[in-house]
Amino acid sequence: MAPLLTQVCSEVNGALQRRDGVFLASILAIEPPFTPIYEQLIVGLRATYPANTNDAIGRLERDIRAIVGETEESEDADGRPVPRWGAMVTFLASWMAFIRDVDVLNLLKTYEDLSELIQRGNAALQHTPKGVLLLPTLVGYAKIFARIAVGVEKRPELIQHLLGPVNQEGGRESLAEKAANVVRQCFITCLSDKATAPGGIRNSKPDGKKAGVYKMANICLKILFQSDKLDNCTAIFRNINNSAPPLHFYPASERVTYLYYLGRHLFANTDFYQAQLVLQKAYDDCTSDPRCRHQKSLILVYLVSANMILGRFPTEHIYSQPEAYGFRKIFSPIAQAIRRGDIESFRRLTSMNVTSKDAVLLRKFRVFYQIGHYCEVLIWRSLFRKVFLLTGHKGTTEKSAPTLDLNAVLAAFQYLEKRAIMTPAIARAEFGPGRRPATFAPEDFMASTYIDPDFEGVEDAKPYNHMPDIAEVECICSSLITQGFLNGFISHKMNRFAIQGARKVGSASKAGFPNAWEVIKATNVEAGQNEVEGWVKEIRQQGGPNVIRLASARPAGS
Amino acid sequence: MSASAQGSTATTKAVVDDKNKNGETDKDKKPAAQLEEDDEFEDFPIEDWTEEDTQIPGGTTHLWEESWDDDDTNEDFAVQLKEELKKLGHGK
Repeated sequence: MAPLLTQVCSEVNGALQRRDGVFLASILAIEPPFTPIYEQLIVGLRATYPANTNDAIGRLERDIRAIVGETEESEDADGRPVPRWGAMVTFLASWMAFIRDVDVLNLLKTYEDLSELIQRGNAALQHTPKGVLLLPTLVGYAKIFARIAVGVEKRPELIQHLLGPVNQEGGRESLAEKAANVVRQCFITCLSDKATAPGGIRNSKPDGKKAGVYKMANICLKILFQSDKLDNCTAIFRNINNSAPPLHFYPASERVTYLYYLGRHLFANTDFYQAQLVLQKAYDDCTSDPRCRHQKSLILVYLVSANMILGRFPTEHIYSQPEAYGFRKIFSPIAQAIRRGDIESFRRLTSMNVTSKDAVLLRKFRVFYQIGHYCEVLIWRSLFRKVFLLTGHKGTTEKSAPTLDLNAVLAAFQYLEKRAIMTPAIARAEFGPGRRPATFAPEDFMASTYIDPDFEGVEDAKPYNHMPDIAEVECICSSLITQGFLNGFISHKMNRFAIQGARKVGSASKAGFPNAWEVIKATNVEAGQNEVEGWVKEIRQQGGPNVIRLASARPAGS
Repeated sequence: MSASAQGSTATTKAVVDDKNKNGETDKDKKPAAQLEEDDEFEDFPIEDWTEEDTQIPGGTTHLWEESWDDDDTNEDFAVQLKEELKKLGHGK
C-alpha cells in the first residue's frame, strides 16, 4: 500500500464515524497546489497504483475497503440495518485517481475527470443514512466544477489548443450545459432525500440532504446563467416548487443568491411583477456589507428595471445607496422622459441603434430591450395626459364629460416621432429661442436611410419611417382604456376621448388617468401573480397529496 | 491530514479568470462602487447574516416613486409641445 494511504483512509474513516462531513471535505481536497503531505500521497499513488495499469483502481478499492470500515454493512444506534456503502469506496478510489492525475493546465481533461468524480460522488451521496456526510465535499467540488465550466465558456481561447484549430461542433457550448446537468443530478439527490423529518425541516433547520437543495440549485443556475442557457432553468424552479423545503429556513447567502436567479429568470420571461416581488425580497435580505456590494448592485439593476416597467421609479433614496452608484445617470433620464411623455428623448435613450455607454451597459445586463419596449405603454399614457393638460376640454355643461381631441394627440405623436428620427443637432436647432419650426428635409433624418437589400436598386424604393395616423392613435387610446390606464370612452365619430367620473373624483386628470402602478399592481394581484412558482414559503407534508386548486375549474357536466 | 491546500482555490481561477499578465484582475483597477459590466453573481464571502446586517441608511420604506405624473405645463418640453399644438390649431 502507498505510504500515507493508510493514514488518509483512517482519517476518512474517523470523519465518517464522527459524522463530520465538513472535516471529511477538508480531507478530500482536489485543487492544487497541494500541501507537502498530499504531494507525498500523490507520489505514493503514482508508484503503487499507476494510471496506466488496468488493475490500479481495483486494488485501490480493495485497500480502501480494508481500512474504511464505515463503508461496510452495519447497524445504527437503534439496531436498524445500515446497508453496505460500496459507492463510497468507488468514490474514494476515484478521488485518489483524480489527485494522482490532475493537471490544471489541461482544462478539458480536468473538466472531464471532475465531471466523473462528481458523478461517482453523487452515487455515494444517495446512500441512506450516510450519504449526507459527503454533501459538503460535493458542494465544494461543484463550485470548482462550475468555475471551470464557466471559465472555459467565457475564455474559449484558453482551450483552443485543446479543441484544435477548428471549432468542434457545439462542443464548447454544450460543455456548460453538460456541467449543469452533472450538478443537477446532485441537486435531485438532495431534493429527493426521503429520510428527512417531515417537510425536510428539523428544529427550524434543513434536515439531511435537503440542506444542500438551494446550494446545488444555485450552482446549476450560475452555470446556466453564465452560459446564457436561461431556458434550462425552468426545470430547476419547477423541481424546487414541487419538493423543496421553504426558502426562509436556509442561510441568507443561499436565499439571496437563489432569489436573484429566480428574479432574473422571471424578468427574462417578461413576468415583471413577479420578478419585482422576488428581487425586492433579495434586495431587502441582502447584506449591506461593503464586500457584497457587487451582488447587491446586480440585484438592484434588475429590481429597478422591473419596477420602471411596472410604473414605479427609483427615488433619490435608492440613488443615494452605495450599491446604486451610477444608477441615476442611467435610469433618471428614462424615468424623466416617461414622466413627461417625451417620446423623442425616450427613443433617443432606448432605440435599438443607440450606442451610448449606458445603453451598452443595459444591453449587457439584458434589460435594455425590455425597458425600451415595455415602458412604451407608460409613455403613451403620459403623452395622452400631457396633451389633455395642454389642450383638453372641460366639457361645455356641468354634466358633460371632459374630452381630449385625438387629433391633438396625433399631432403630438407625429411631432415627437419626427423629432426622434432627426439628428440631435437638427432637432435642437429647431427649437432655439425665437426660432420658427423648420420644414423637414429628408437629410435631416437619421433613421430614414435603411432599405432592405431585397429592394436595393428598385425604382421608387424609399426608406420607411413609421408615422402614426389617426387610426393608430385611436387604437393606442382604446388599448390604454382596455389596460385600465385611461378611464373613459372614445367617441369614434368625433375622434375624441371622453373622461368618465371626473365630477365624482373632482379632477379630470385624476379620473381620466388612474395611477399607472396601482393599475398594474391590481391587474397582477387579481391574476394571482403574488404566488411565484419556485419561491416556496410553506412546509409541504411529504407523501401527502398535492393541493389541487379548483377555483377556476368548471362544474362537472358544464 | 485535514490541512488541505488552503488558498488552492485561486489556482483554477487563475487559469480561467480574467487576469492580465501582472496577475491583477480588471476589476481591481476600477473603483469598488462603480456599476461594472461584470454580470457574474459571485459567491457571497459570508454564509449567513442577521436582519440587522441588511439595514440600509434611511430604511426601505421610500424606495419607489409611485405617483410621478408630471403636471408642470411650464417646463421646456411642455411649452414646446404646447406651441407646436397651438400652431396646428389645437389650443385651449
